[in-house]
Amino acid sequence: MREEAHNHTDPIVRVHGLSKTYGRVHALEDVGFSIRAGEILGLIGPNGAGKTTLFECVAGLEPADSGGIFFGPLRVEGRHRSSKLFYVPDGIAPWPDQPVRWVLEYSLGFFGGRRTFADQVIADLALAPLMSVPIRALSKGQRKRTLLALGLLAPQPILLIDEPFEGLDLRQSREAAATLRKHLTPDRTFFLSIHQIADAAKVCDRFVLLSGGRVVAEGALDMLTALARQRAGHDLPPDFEEVFLALT
Amino acid sequence: MPLPSAWRWLLKKEWRELMSSRSWWVMLALVGPLVGVSFISAVRSYAEASGQGNAAAGLADALFPLDGVVAPTFSAYEIAASFLLPFVAIRAIASDRTSGALKLELQQGMMPVSMISAKALVLGAGWLVAGVPIVLAGILWASYGGSLYAPEIGSLALGHLLNAGIVIALAAAAASLAEHPSTAAILVLAFTVGTWVLSFVAAFQGGMWEEMAGYTPSEMLQAFRRGLVRLDHVLAALVLIAAALVLAGVWMRLGIPMRRKAMESVAIVSVAAALAFAASLARPSWDVSENERNSFAASDAAILGKITTPLKIEVHLAPEDPRRFDLEKQTLSKLRRTIRNVTVEYVSGSATGLFEQASEHYGEIWYDLGGKRIVGRAATMDGVLDAIYELANVQPPHEGEAGHRGHPLATQPTGAAPVFYVVWPLAVLGLGLFLQRRRLS
Repeated sequence: MREEAHNHTDPIVRVHGLSKTYGRVHALEDVGFSIRAGEILGLIGPNGAGKTTLFECVAGLEPADSGGIFFGPLRVEGRHRSSKLFYVPDGIAPWPDQPVRWVLEYSLGFFGGRRTFADQVIADLALAPLMSVPIRALSKGQRKRTLLALGLLAPQPILLIDEPFEGLDLRQSREAAATLRKHLTPDRTFFLSIHQIADAAKVCDRFVLLSGGRVVAEGALDMLTALARQRAGHDLPPDFEEVFLALT
Repeated sequence: MPLPSAWRWLLKKEWRELMSSRSWWVMLALVGPLVGVSFISAVRSYAEASGQGNAAAGLADALFPLDGVVAPTFSAYEIAASFLLPFVAIRAIASDRTSGALKLELQQGMMPVSMISAKALVLGAGWLVAGVPIVLAGILWASYGGSLYAPEIGSLALGHLLNAGIVIALAAAAASLAEHPSTAAILVLAFTVGTWVLSFVAAFQGGMWEEMAGYTPSEMLQAFRRGLVRLDHVLAALVLIAAALVLAGVWMRLGIPMRRKAMESVAIVSVAAALAFAASLARPSWDVSENERNSFAASDAAILGKITTPLKIEVHLAPEDPRRFDLEKQTLSKLRRTIRNVTVEYVSGSATGLFEQASEHYGEIWYDLGGKRIVGRAATMDGVLDAIYELANVQPPHEGEAGHRGHPLATQPTGAAPVFYVVWPLAVLGLGLFLQRRRLS
């Protein structure tokens, strides 16, 4: 599967020169990278690196000061990006009074989602016992699984998920990662923001390393390892955490 | 034309959200006792005025349920619209922002104005459900043998519906504009208090302030309460509702720079102000009251309607002078509805007129019909009409037209207290619990 994903190398989204400031704080500075069809791209960075801001700017939910998002050769403005991108924010509890069943049903109807996958997604994310539970009564992990289901059922080909494994225990993280990979197809691409390096290494095909609002590296693990060795000037253990530390 | 599927889903969702909203259920439960208090005290007062307790017979003959029972009972909805509905509306709009649902829904690609319209429609439907107690009051009143006149009820219902529409739209705008629901609540209450201040200022400043105050929700409601449906009021209310909803749509969007939102808001407010001004020029109005209280007697109206020469009336009375109030309400407002080309100008050097009384021209009313001028001091309807007839050189109509007889009713509000204070709140509580269980099953 991973090999197959690597074969889809055409960038379908290109982020170019994206900058964003909050007052005097530079949240993003000249950020640029590309998303390729059928891959799982990981946005890696420490807390406060600007991952969420970057996702919100890319999704068109936060105005960028400069820079642009390109679908192929076309520059696409905020609201129109939802034709291809769907962003699942972290830490939200949408429609808190409604039960999970209705929330999924609503998202399928309202967004025109992938109804044929619904049963599979519910089974993969073990949501069946939660179907009658209101969103507000879910635990953090249960809510995260529901949000993942919302994302997976969205019709857009590119799914941006902020911290997909946040709140999940080890077993659930593995199952969620397996579910994401299961739903990865040439016309389904994932862009995940992850601050747990170990999780990222297990699930992503390529990485964008963000530090202090800047992209410090982009590429597959072997490429980043080589870059880290070059920058460090000595050999590094074959561990993504060491590579990350050397590059950020 | 079928509704787009996504919008239908949005409507369904908004309705479910409203049904889950504690604030709406609290409002629903409170509206019953509010209507009850108004209805019970109105029926008792009406009974006293109708002869119970030896009231004068003449007074009883002039009694109409519109003034005595219907409008006072409806006034419960003015209180609910000012102090309960804004919180329900703000909760409906702000909860999507605070829960994060807005971030998801905006990615559907639907126009934010369409989204806010769905919310406003559902809130309007919720307001109609809250209208059940007034229907109960009507049934009770009819069961006592009380008279009801459908066009008057229609006028009141329309007025209160437009008032609720304004509140919902303003709450939507405030909730979209403010980061926090409490800030939005303060903004809406500030608007309500602001309109009261405007009415207060208008009462002693007159002029432009008076013109503007005439279009505040509470002043517009006054006309509907008298059974007068004015096109300018309806249009102005619709402009305000539309402008506030569009404003809400502008501020609801995410990913748009603040400066652009501010510039768009200025443009919307400017267009709305121009449209509201245009609406204020609309003259048609309909007197739907049973006793045609907003119109001259048919014989007077027939003569006045034939006057086509421009009539200008210059009134030298201060804004707070009670004679000016009576003149405006009893005569000039009717005159504007009857004569096509009439201009009224108020002239005064002070707010109260207390220190103008000694002035030579204070209290004068000048009439100018096609350059022919006369002056009078009578501020009564007969005085004004006589002056106009004299100026137009026409014979006044003969006296003796039979007036409308009232509908006195000396009865007690039997059974109303249990209905509004016990049965209604319990029914609301029971229905709320039942629907909550069904929603989660």
